[in-house]
Amino acid sequence: MSHRDTGSEPAFSTATARAASAVTGRSPEAPRPAGSRLMRVVRKILLALPLIALVAWTLVPFLVTISVSFKERAQVFADPGLIPDAPNLDAYREVLSSESFTTSLVNSLIVGIGTTLLTIVIGVPAAYAFARFNFRGRHLLLLFTLLPRLVPSIGIMVPIYRLAVAIGALDSRLTLIVVYTGMLLPLAVWLMVGFFQQIPREIEEAANVDGANLWGRLRYIVSPLAAPAMITIGVLAFREAWNEFTLVLVLTSTPGKRTLPYELYLMQGIEGIANFPGEAAFTILTVLPFILIYTRIEKYVVAGIISGSGK
Amino acid sequence: MTTTTDRPETKPKRRRWWQRPDKPPSSGGQFLVGQNKATPYLFSLPSILLVAAILGFPVIYGLWQSLYRRERLAAPLEYVGLQNYADMFSSDAFWHSMNRTAIFVTGSLIIGIGLGLFFAFALFRVVQRLRFLRAVTVAPYIISNVAAAVMFRILFNSQFGMINEVLGFFGIDGPSWLANQSLAMLVVILTQVWTDLPLTILLLLGGLMTVDKSYLDASLVDGATGWTRARYVVIPLLAPQILISVIWLSYSTLTGLGVVLALTGGGPLNATQTIAMEMYTTAFRNLEFNQALAIATFILVLNALLTLVYVWIGRKYDYEQ
Repeated sequence: MSHRDTGSEPAFSTATARAASAVTGRSPEAPRPAGSRLMRVVRKILLALPLIALVAWTLVPFLVTISVSFKERAQVFADPGLIPDAPNLDAYREVLSSESFTTSLVNSLIVGIGTTLLTIVIGVPAAYAFARFNFRGRHLLLLFTLLPRLVPSIGIMVPIYRLAVAIGALDSRLTLIVVYTGMLLPLAVWLMVGFFQQIPREIEEAANVDGANLWGRLRYIVSPLAAPAMITIGVLAFREAWNEFTLVLVLTSTPGKRTLPYELYLMQGIEGIANFPGEAAFTILTVLPFILIYTRIEKYVVAGIISGSGK
Repeated sequence: MTTTTDRPETKPKRRRWWQRPDKPPSSGGQFLVGQNKATPYLFSLPSILLVAAILGFPVIYGLWQSLYRRERLAAPLEYVGLQNYADMFSSDAFWHSMNRTAIFVTGSLIIGIGLGLFFAFALFRVVQRLRFLRAVTVAPYIISNVAAAVMFRILFNSQFGMINEVLGFFGIDGPSWLANQSLAMLVVILTQVWTDLPLTILLLLGGLMTVDKSYLDASLVDGATGWTRARYVVIPLLAPQILISVIWLSYSTLTGLGVVLALTGGGPLNATQTIAMEMYTTAFRNLEFNQALAIATFILVLNALLTLVYVWIGRKYDYEQ
């Protein structure tokens, strides 16, 4: 998405700047703001307002949750301010020592890593075949793989549940892994096909001439080049498994097999008197690991999100 | 398929897929002779089968099962034709949920596209310099619906929520958002939009960045400035991205269950009982699975029809057509 030409020629960069200002409604012909330093500062602040609004819109829900997570139960009502008077870690201690959190954390990790690996192991060869080989039925099979992307999880909820009951696959982490992988594969194959098509054939042809067979090419040529795309689909797969809520809700019932979103959902419902700090701490602990991973590899995720649903 | 060399045509020795080629395969006609005809099928088959098993088959199975019904919980399945659909269309609960869905989808589209455009325009100017802003923007998209629901319950809590604190500061007595029937729908819409907005912003931002600059320059020459330019030049140029955002947001809200279920569970007094919630309730609270499958099929069809309508409307605004 960042293919804007920064432009080495002055004429072109003027045009670009003009275009940019055209979009934002600032006229480049307008005289520079009157010399006063104060005016310039005011102007800058005014232009920054939409951005401040964006940051507030995005972060305020996070901030209030973090704030509540550092309060005690009674303190939540007595001290509604954003910065707690007496911050403490009681809620975190409570959540971290509760079995519902630790068990579901382990489950979420297993399901998340399982989904990620299975998606890559199954999706990448398929995408390679679709991108590189010319075989009978290629287009039809590709369509069969990609088109189900349009099926929402609500469309498969009841059938999958009935089928899982029929074959005795309820309450199983493996079931979740397989279901999430199936849901992710259309997107993963779509992204990887696009990526493989960008790798020049000539590289592989050269390796071919040098005597590399298919496996050699995959191992030494294709995999290293495709690593960024694999990270992208891996992250998207992990995100799906980590966050998915409605299917795990119907596919599991026993406490030991639930994932984090399900456990968090129950925490809202079961307690008679709402334990807001506990919920908040649970939420932060659920969200934090992925946010931390995410900030490291943000550009892969953004690329994946855009190309996954944009085209 | 291009050939790399002009090597004389030699018939390649037949090789099984498990046999290593002893020499570079002759590129007789096909690049990357896959060592064997079966290779591409072996590569793609697991993926095709899994997608068919998890996404394709359940939809067809659901369609088929929606023609059956059990009279009692333990009674055998009976073929009833379209009776489940007839019952659905004559049920008040269904029409109530359609009414709620219409508000939910329309509200989310208006707020989502409006805010999406506003924030995309705001980001466009600075996203090259302030990349962290893009990272911040995406945060709501990478957390679960349940986490978003918890956050918004805290934010909109009537006793200590920040929204009511701010309203109180201006002397307004904040309402109990989630207990009030129309306000609960507003909170659900806001939460849904909050989780979906990052993708909308990114799509529109991507569109802004690929807008042909010559159109903008031309409009400058013609004297279009500010809002006029945004309204008559930039937004029409963004029509494809807006169309995709509308289709995606509509799909996400029409079929979205997570936010509603975790935030209100359809309440208060069924005020947020959308069609997706109705499907869930019918199946997993009333245990009328076959009836629920009729609703699920209806949602899929409605979604497809709406998409066609959006595309049809979008064609009128497309510059390229």
